Amino acid sequence: MQIDRNMNILVVDDFSTMRRIVKNLLKELGFSKFDEADDGATAWPMIQSGKYDFIVSDWNMPEMTGIDLLRHVRADEKLKSTPFLLITAEAKRAQILEAAEAGVDGYIVKPFTAATLNGKIEKIFERVAERKKAAGG
Amino acid sequence: MKNIKPKQVKSLLKALEKENYDKASEMLDQIVAKRNESLIEGVEEIAQNLHDTLEGFGQDAQLLRDTKHGLPDATERLEYVMQTTEEASNKTLSAAENMIGLLESIESQTSDEKIAGYVRQAHAEMTEIMTAQSFQDLTGQVLNRVIMLVTSLEASLKDLIQRSGLSLDAIPAAHQSEAERKAEEEKGMGPNVTRESQKGTVGSQADVDAMLDDLGI
Repeated sequence: MQIDRNMNILVVDDFSTMRRIVKNLLKELGFSKFDEADDGATAWPMIQSGKYDFIVSDWNMPEMTGIDLLRHVRADEKLKSTPFLLITAEAKRAQILEAAEAGVDGYIVKPFTAATLNGKIEKIFERVAERKKAAGG
Repeated sequence: MKNIKPKQVKSLLKALEKENYDKASEMLDQIVAKRNESLIEGVEEIAQNLHDTLEGFGQDAQLLRDTKHGLPDATERLEYVMQTTEEASNKTLSAAENMIGLLESIESQTSDEKIAGYVRQAHAEMTEIMTAQSFQDLTGQVLNRVIMLVTSLEASLKDLIQRSGLSLDAIPAAHQSEAERKAEEEKGMGPNVTRESQKGTVGSQADVDAMLDDLGI
């Protein structure tokens, strides 16, 4: 399956180290266009611009959490189908369930490896392609 | 309960039996008022006890000093750990990024299969070093929680001290006797991470060297 490596990706995490790691790993996977936000609250207006094809977000952030950000995205008619991946230290079954109910496309528990990230991204975009096909697009 | 009189309860019952609800309501109010009085007395007693207990410690008590100096000091130390690990992670990340760039240049310029193999392996190891830096995020989240807890404990204790009628200002500044300070310096105390402990420290190796120069060493 061919993934568009030129897509615009938004990386949301309150720790700059983690944003940097995620960006570097995405770069290794061949992606090249990233923006960063340090909180759900700063990410949301950026996402509303409609620029992003893929959102990678942390859960636990001071102002707006990743799960809230996901809910905002899913509640917006224009943005609701944007693929959303949570990368987080939150590892309770109930939280994973909550994220699934909110409509998350993938969930990675920190610490994680480059291989895990790669596998998740492939799976997410496979499903996106299937959805498009099913919709006749 | 002891200030509620059986007589009042009997009048209440009597009023109810006679279906004199105005009277019953009045009696009930009287009983409740008595009960509230004893509650207030109880609370006043607890407050007085707290005041006496804290005052019994004296303004110089360890709990009071820890609240005023120890807890803010602990928070400052944890923030230092956050900051230092973040700086170290960023340095490691920069080095790993540069190294990956170099390895990519070598890989694109070599025609030697064996070297290309080594380079790919080194690249994978560099990626490993880079992802390992995520410890800073994980430990940072834990430290943030502890900092929040210590800060809230500090606020609660300060509130308690003030409610008991003691003044925070009256708690003496963090002090050490000359002997205590000497003993601590003799033992060594690790990095000087708080503003308080940075008093009288050198800023850099250059400062150390300048001092050594002055001392003729």
